[in-house]
Amino acid sequence: MKPAAQHAGIRAAVLVFVAAAGFSKLGAAETPEPSGQPRHQGPEVSAESPPAPWWSLALLVRPAVPGTGEENPIDAFVREKLAANHLEPSPEADRRTLIRRLSYDLTGLPLTPEEMAAFIEDDDPQAYEKLVDRLLASPRHGEHWARHWLDVASYADTHGNDHDFIRPHAWPWRDWVIRAFNEDKPYARFVQEQVAGDALFPDDPQATVALGFLAAGPWDHTLMVTVREDTVDHRMAQNLDRDAMVTATMGTFQSLTVQCARCHNHKFDPVSQREYYALQAVFAGVDRADRPFDENPSIHVSRRHLLAEQKKLKQPDEAFLTRLESLEITRKVTAWEEAWKQREKAWQPLSAVSVVSTGGATLTRQEDGSWLAGGTRPDRDTYILTARRPAGKLGALRLEAMADDRLPQRGPGRWDNGNFHLSEFRAYAAAPSAGESAKPLPIARATADHNEGPGISAAQAVDGREETQWGVHPRYGEPHQAVFELKEPAEFPEDTLFTIVMDFRSGAPGHGLGRFRISAGSEAATPMPTALDEVLRLPADKRSPAQRRELALTVLREENRRALEALPPPQMVYAVASDFPPDGENFKPAPEPRPIHLLARGELSRPGDLIGPAALGCIPGMPADLGITDAGDESARRAALALWLTDSRNGLTWRSIVNRVWHWHFGRGLCDTPNDFGKMGGTPSNTALLDWLAVWFRDDAKGSLKALHRLIVTSHAWRQSSLAWQGAETDADNRLLWRQNRNRLSAEAVRDTLLMLGRQLDLTVGGPAAVQFNAKGDATFNPGGNPPFVDYEHFNPDASEARRRAVYRFLFRTVPDPLMAALDSPDGGSVAAVRGVSTTAVQAFALMNNPFVIRWSGHIASRVTAATAATPEDQVEAAFKLILLRQPTDAERTAFAGYLQRHGAANACQLLINSNEFLHLD
Amino acid sequence: MNTPRPLPLTRRGFLGSLSGGLGGIALTSLLQREALASGPPMFAPKAKRVIQLFMNGGASQCDLFDYKPQLIARHGQKFDPGAGQRVEASISIPGNVMKSPFEWARHGQCGRWVSSALPHLARHVDDMAFLMAMQSSSNVHGPASYLQTSGFSLPGFPCAGAWVSHALGSMADNVPAFVVLPDARGLPYNGQSAFTSGFLSANHQGTVISGSAPQPITHLRPPADAPGITPASRSEGLDLLRDLNTEHAACRHGDSQLTARIASYELAARLQLAAPELLDISQETVATQNLYGLDQTETADFGRRCLLARRMIERGVRFVQVWSGHGGGANNWDNHTDIARELGDAALRMDRPAAGLLMDLKARGLLDDTLLVWTTEFGRMPFSQGGVGRDHNGGTFVSWFAGAGVKPGTAHGESDEWSWKAREGITTNHDFHATLLHLLGIDHEKLTLRHNGIDRRLTDVHGHVIREVLV
Repeated sequence: MKPAAQHAGIRAAVLVFVAAAGFSKLGAAETPEPSGQPRHQGPEVSAESPPAPWWSLALLVRPAVPGTGEENPIDAFVREKLAANHLEPSPEADRRTLIRRLSYDLTGLPLTPEEMAAFIEDDDPQAYEKLVDRLLASPRHGEHWARHWLDVASYADTHGNDHDFIRPHAWPWRDWVIRAFNEDKPYARFVQEQVAGDALFPDDPQATVALGFLAAGPWDHTLMVTVREDTVDHRMAQNLDRDAMVTATMGTFQSLTVQCARCHNHKFDPVSQREYYALQAVFAGVDRADRPFDENPSIHVSRRHLLAEQKKLKQPDEAFLTRLESLEITRKVTAWEEAWKQREKAWQPLSAVSVVSTGGATLTRQEDGSWLAGGTRPDRDTYILTARRPAGKLGALRLEAMADDRLPQRGPGRWDNGNFHLSEFRAYAAAPSAGESAKPLPIARATADHNEGPGISAAQAVDGREETQWGVHPRYGEPHQAVFELKEPAEFPEDTLFTIVMDFRSGAPGHGLGRFRISAGSEAATPMPTALDEVLRLPADKRSPAQRRELALTVLREENRRALEALPPPQMVYAVASDFPPDGENFKPAPEPRPIHLLARGELSRPGDLIGPAALGCIPGMPADLGITDAGDESARRAALALWLTDSRNGLTWRSIVNRVWHWHFGRGLCDTPNDFGKMGGTPSNTALLDWLAVWFRDDAKGSLKALHRLIVTSHAWRQSSLAWQGAETDADNRLLWRQNRNRLSAEAVRDTLLMLGRQLDLTVGGPAAVQFNAKGDATFNPGGNPPFVDYEHFNPDASEARRRAVYRFLFRTVPDPLMAALDSPDGGSVAAVRGVSTTAVQAFALMNNPFVIRWSGHIASRVTAATAATPEDQVEAAFKLILLRQPTDAERTAFAGYLQRHGAANACQLLINSNEFLHLD
Repeated sequence: MNTPRPLPLTRRGFLGSLSGGLGGIALTSLLQREALASGPPMFAPKAKRVIQLFMNGGASQCDLFDYKPQLIARHGQKFDPGAGQRVEASISIPGNVMKSPFEWARHGQCGRWVSSALPHLARHVDDMAFLMAMQSSSNVHGPASYLQTSGFSLPGFPCAGAWVSHALGSMADNVPAFVVLPDARGLPYNGQSAFTSGFLSANHQGTVISGSAPQPITHLRPPADAPGITPASRSEGLDLLRDLNTEHAACRHGDSQLTARIASYELAARLQLAAPELLDISQETVATQNLYGLDQTETADFGRRCLLARRMIERGVRFVQVWSGHGGGANNWDNHTDIARELGDAALRMDRPAAGLLMDLKARGLLDDTLLVWTTEFGRMPFSQGGVGRDHNGGTFVSWFAGAGVKPGTAHGESDEWSWKAREGITTNHDFHATLLHLLGIDHEKLTLRHNGIDRRLTDVHGHVIREVLV
């Protein structure tokens, strides 16, 4: 964000100058403010009477509308202020100017010259209002306004920071914003879903997608994933990650800078450090991660119930355990046990023809058909077992890793602690009598009764990678088993020779299997946990209550797993989550909300009190207490904060959004610091209007943003001309709106317009981000790959991906598109509540030399020249109409026709695209 | 239908306003020229300009400048700093004490220790002032690089070059104030965010020049295959565009944004004219080119960029940042695997060109008012990672200054006996930046810009000028 572009240099100069003049103590108060407004330097506390509340923290009440009540209330408030300052509103802008402004404002695109002509000639008195409704109903509206919201959320498709890895699932949230604006989701619900949609609207899949808001900004992958969990750096990164969520939530929805209270009480606003950490506690149970959702609501609901059940089954409470004795579940268990018995019968130990250890260990056959390893213990080993079995169907192979007194720690592995590392398990089959050579039997799935961890599980024994493995740490001295399901179960004749190869080569030395047995089955079965194996071998009436429970839980877990597997794969959204697969050793979900301590000076080494979740106490009529009873329920914290934020008594929420919307319509908010309504922010130019809008939006419009847009763009204040200058003496900054502001087109509007004028704008709505650059060299953009090598320069401007609307661009946080950056599109590095408007040589270079601009100037030119056997003058006429939506003057026609004749229509069109008239909205 | 023109000004009247009134201010601020300040700086500056050499990845202090006999004596033993201090490495389990694979010797009148990895720079220690006990609050590239470029550990803050551009501007009207020369092999950690203008105006963003690329400055020229674009189409077109824009601005009185955009095309044209000469190192003698190592494959890239840096400051650029190494796991100073091989290679590429730059600046008298800075984001551990590599160490690292206002042949601060943590004269990123601004005549506490309710500084709320290294 680049505010105060024009003033910055002057301000620096003044600073320098004043210092030189001998003012040793130069305070900020003595320097002119960029906005020209007085600002408060701190709370002005009077000893005698309590100070009046700061405007944004005053109780929100509806001010009376001045005047007769016949005009748009906005105009009544604006006119009153103007009159008090001896100013008048400007006349309404001419129709061409007005609807160019309107169309860009509501959709980010111009009307076509034909639509323009039709509107100008339309004598329906309601023509303007009808156009407003039509533009608000266009899908283009949500796309354009979503981009505003992405600015505030610092959205991008990569994490940012040192390696800047991609976030392939960020975009569903971007689409959610577009849909929310197009469907006119009421603002309270819009806020609630983005903070706690999963908790408040659990059956609506889109409410989960909305949580992408909390994860949209930059995230330090290195600190969170690579850096060891026990380091100060990693723990500080977790703290700052919560800080980012607090900052995003409170900055966006409350326009408060609560993050200033991380190290000490807020210096200017009534936010204590304790309150700040209470807000951190609201987000103490979540991290940013890919989160599953199902577009289909009924599947979404099924999955949600199954996942909740899965969680219950992992850690069952008393009530749940009692239910296990119910008739329904008992019946289920009995049926399951019958089926298990049938399957168990089907497991037949393979009768081995030969077994070899390539490392030289001795493998001795035991009575029960298993093999015991002894003798030398090589660093790396491979066991090759060749076996036959009777003819029949083969669906799975089972590997039993067995305990034995002759092994270290009773095994089942050969290493000193009893562990083994099975790096790969492969099976082959051949019918030698038929002259066949051994063919691999691909494994679909491998499961085990116990895994060392998510990255050291049976699945790693079939991933084709020697460096990963299945191990059973720390459960030594007991038997374990893994089941390998074949991808293609099949009948095999009797003479088939099966070969099983087991590698123990992943790195840790001497980690071979100590005693093992391999059986074949016709179909897959869940590997039985050791304890359960014993239970099943007991007659039902000999089992203890604890054993019966364990059995019932196992049955229910398997049922749950199969039901989940039967669902179609979920979609993913990059959002916040309390439950997700760990990424390596350092990045894992918190089993319950992490304890939050007040940190003196924000330093981890100086923890103070333990702080529970709460909101702020500075909003009149709103208790800070969130009334959270279940401290372990992470989502209840966010849900409570979401409801607190959207409480009708929370004046900040309603003031904040109407001011933001005003800012996006006028280029400047009634308060010109949309993310800071504190004492260091601006004060509104018209507080009564801001308050009236806030109450009207909340109560009358019921939070309908489209109603608010309609009210604003039909006001005279918005429709008036920007050309006047009579107020320049009194109000040079036009804070009181004696004219409309002249705003520059956004980077996105420029790009989209070129595509539209070239008749190739792809209006597809939504979907994965459009990659508008070449990936250089062997860049993979994924963790473990190389750093981003992104080449915008040689990307084909005619590629289909290039023709999507700019809101769908793939946004590389640390390597932004140079054209878009030159036109002030934010890079997602920080919040851009207000976009800068720069006038740099870099921007001039971009609009003159960027390959996309040049190519599309050419396409627009071919439209201009294709018309007829037109004269250069006709072509100039067509180009002006298309690009500037007006006719050229005689002088312009002559000058441009000469230029066009000498240098071609493409160059002429590019000049018009570079013109201030094209790039600005009067 | 014609555009309504309710308030026509004469063309002459309008042009007059360009050089005087609001338009004039916009123009000046756009150019960010030295003349803008028109008064003296806060105090007499020693340095007018800065060349910063940034070693991307964390250059190992204990293999370059920070000689510790203890590491040689205890090589291979368990690292135990005593007193129950917790030993923590960033991405690995701490290994044993590891001596440098390079030889150490004293150099110059001042007798600074420099390792054999830097034979050329070692000859110039009498020109340098060392910060021997720099410390970073982060052990991780992203935040630590941000800290050393912008003073904050998070993205979104303007870097030092942008602040200097904001405060002082360029010294000429045809070059940018802040230029960045990234490694030819790629951008550093944090990509372009490493030279962002953050919330300052986009003018102050580092202009990236890729010395060896066909298009050394993004958008400097149209693509080679663009049809119909000729010098004539451009010069005639710019005239026509100026007329069109001037006419447009004439009836929109007092809009400095419009006049500033007109001026921006003129600045762009001047930059475009100046660029070829600026980048043409064939104008340099063979002796000069060789001084920078252009005659050697390994040193040619860094050497070319050091030479360009000198050409730029001669032509008015205020702040040039030259990167050694790019992001990612190799070709930089992030030597986790093998110090002898990886750091040896990085040092080889940097050493001779950097020494050449220092000698050349001195020979041409430029060092009198130019500050040369050598720095990195953090140091490395005195113990090994995986046998012969080293992990990140924010605890202590080394930077040096040379040139304008710098006391030559000095050193400030000291690390502990292990080169594990800074012990005396601890210098933070903020102290480093405060000193740099001070040499440019700027009080770091007074160079501020209000953003989101806070008066932001390069030095946050910290920073002390390290007077020990100043003349």
